[in-house]
Amino acid sequence: MTSTLESVSVASASRAPRPPRRRRLGAERRRAAYLMLAPSVIHLIWWIGIPVVATFGLAFTNYDVIAGTVEWAGLDNFREIFADDIWNLSIWHTVVFTFFTVPVAMAIAVVIAVLLNQQIRARAWYRAAFFMPHITATVAIALVWMWMFEPNLGLFNLLLDWVGINGPAWLSDPDWAMPAVILVSIWKGIGLKMLIYLAALQNIPHELYEAADLDGASGPRKFFLITLPLLKPATFFVFIVSMIDAFQVFDQVYVLTPDGGPANSTTVMTYEIYRTAFGEFDISAACAQSLVLFAFLLVLTVIGRRLTGKDGDEA
Amino acid sequence: MTRTRGSRTGAMAVALVGALLATACGGPAPSEDSDDGKVSGAIRLLTPIFEGADGKTVLEKQLGAFKEKYPDVTVEVDYTSYGKLNEKLTTSIAGGRPYDVMLMGVGWIPPFAAKGALAELDESKQDLVKRYNERVVEPGIYQDKVYGLPIMLDTRFGLYRKDIFAEAGISAPPSNFDELREIGRKLTVRDGSGKLTRAGVDILSNDLRQTFLPLMWANGGELWTADGKPAFNSPQAVGALQLMTDIIRTDKSEDFGFTQPGATGLPLAQGRAAMMVGHNNHLLAIEEQAPELVKEDKIGFFMIKNERPAMFQGGTLATVSAKSQHPAAAKALVRFLTDEQASLAANEQRGNVPALNSLADSEYVKSNKAAQFAMQNLDAAYSEGGVPAWLEIRGDFKAAIESALLGQKTPQQALDELTAKAQAAIAKG
Repeated sequence: MTSTLESVSVASASRAPRPPRRRRLGAERRRAAYLMLAPSVIHLIWWIGIPVVATFGLAFTNYDVIAGTVEWAGLDNFREIFADDIWNLSIWHTVVFTFFTVPVAMAIAVVIAVLLNQQIRARAWYRAAFFMPHITATVAIALVWMWMFEPNLGLFNLLLDWVGINGPAWLSDPDWAMPAVILVSIWKGIGLKMLIYLAALQNIPHELYEAADLDGASGPRKFFLITLPLLKPATFFVFIVSMIDAFQVFDQVYVLTPDGGPANSTTVMTYEIYRTAFGEFDISAACAQSLVLFAFLLVLTVIGRRLTGKDGDEA
Repeated sequence: MTRTRGSRTGAMAVALVGALLATACGGPAPSEDSDDGKVSGAIRLLTPIFEGADGKTVLEKQLGAFKEKYPDVTVEVDYTSYGKLNEKLTTSIAGGRPYDVMLMGVGWIPPFAAKGALAELDESKQDLVKRYNERVVEPGIYQDKVYGLPIMLDTRFGLYRKDIFAEAGISAPPSNFDELREIGRKLTVRDGSGKLTRAGVDILSNDLRQTFLPLMWANGGELWTADGKPAFNSPQAVGALQLMTDIIRTDKSEDFGFTQPGATGLPLAQGRAAMMVGHNNHLLAIEEQAPELVKEDKIGFFMIKNERPAMFQGGTLATVSAKSQHPAAAKALVRFLTDEQASLAANEQRGNVPALNSLADSEYVKSNKAAQFAMQNLDAAYSEGGVPAWLEIRGDFKAAIESALLGQKTPQQALDELTAKAQAAIAKG
């Protein structure tokens, strides 16, 4: 025992003068940490930092990408893009797309989440099935939907034919192209929202439902008075993330309705930025458009943070 | 010891950062063309033709022959399509690493040559017109200097189903706009519910701009005035768009949205259209979808006519970047790709029209009636482009034409707006 204590005290004594060694090791560890971080930092600076700074800079210049010349342009690019009907139309289309995809997809997702939170057979299979569109490549999904929307041989018009309705040319008709894109986007977006709602539903104390049962509350009353209010934090999160996603929609619009759709009926902001940069070679105007999109997203993010932050405080 | 370890860690960090930066910057440039006159170096080729697995096989075979001729030249190929060509060109030029050899379309040379992106080729127009069809030599020239050598031509003209015409007792394809409308109306078929089952004339399966332009030229219109200003809103151009609008909105010979590019086959091949304004390589598509139609000679061709016969003519030209590190190797590849062997292989694979005069009698041209028809009528061919701002302008045609076809604007309004946009693009420079 003594020897043990001695050995402990010896060990303690021998540890006493060690702080410099720990500092040295700390410095080494810091260096190792910096070394480990270096690839990520370089990646961030190279692929995100520099392009972001360049975008801000180029938005105020006239950059001729082919000739390689840059001239100061001040606010000319912003004046030019806001004088462009198609850009203004693309903002409106983006707002319309967001307005219809976000709340509708959220409403469907919450209902599906509630249903899949019940003890039903093959529940895991259903959950996987609803989540599948989210993890499937958008281009592959869009191509399949393109076939379904085909006016003469597509599934939708065949079904409509059976009930005596002449279906529209979904993707070629300017009145139907945007609804068709919205439909695909809602279908694709439900999975992730459902997953978040499912996680949130599982955090609602079961006792609340038991108490409601004792009070004789009906299913809908329990849903509106217990479930929905307690899903508020998840709803805020889903709402903000979906809004930001909707403002950045590109791939399904691009594949389903190339060239901005019939008569620009599905031209959204991201597509217009792409077209300006690579169709018109006007990188500076595209950067100005990107900054406008960035401003939209920044405002949405700030609103989202405020709302979710406040909600977190209350919780 | 600790110091040593620290130094080693620091050295590793510096080496890692250096390696990453070197990788990011693309590494050192390969060797220059050698001093002894031998062509050498590693060059990059960007091609919007040779699409798909078949195209790749054709090009790789040709590049094998190139390698035998130039063993010190290595060619790295980037395959793309015309739809994505802009992106590839923009990003490569902006990134400071343009492709050494770039294959481009008619109308692309002025925008790039005007800004110094292309190298002048060591060729003269006088020599070129002896070897190539003159129609496709001109688009490779900017301010009297040759920047592009032609590989192939592609054309747009009328295609029709001889069997459907014969059934209706029509003996010849339309020879003017009135006949085009009249035959279109006669051959249109709708079922009891009014659903279109056969378009009398299909003007939507082809790129809308490339359908409108030959109609405009046939109506006596031009893209530019004599002093280089846009003439897309001339009475002749408005008349051409009015014809397209009448076919859709008045005659109802086709419904907007009847065809959906990419999702359905060609209506002409399916018997869902009696005639169309189409591409010469639609014959290849028809041969794949309904080989019996080609075998039994049921596909006919006609020039679009009104004030004069006209045909749209594009093409693919090979160019060299002004910033190529290996211009000799790049120019050697351009010459190789535009020579008989490679050019014939490319045209066969794509179903296009060879630019080389010597290939006019080739087995391929003899076996391809669309190519023959195009070659016989090149005197009436017209090309787009002509101004450095063309690539900015051309993208606006589709929406303008669609707005007229959908009745959102009159043809005059749609083309007036298009002209105003073109003027702004030209003024911006």
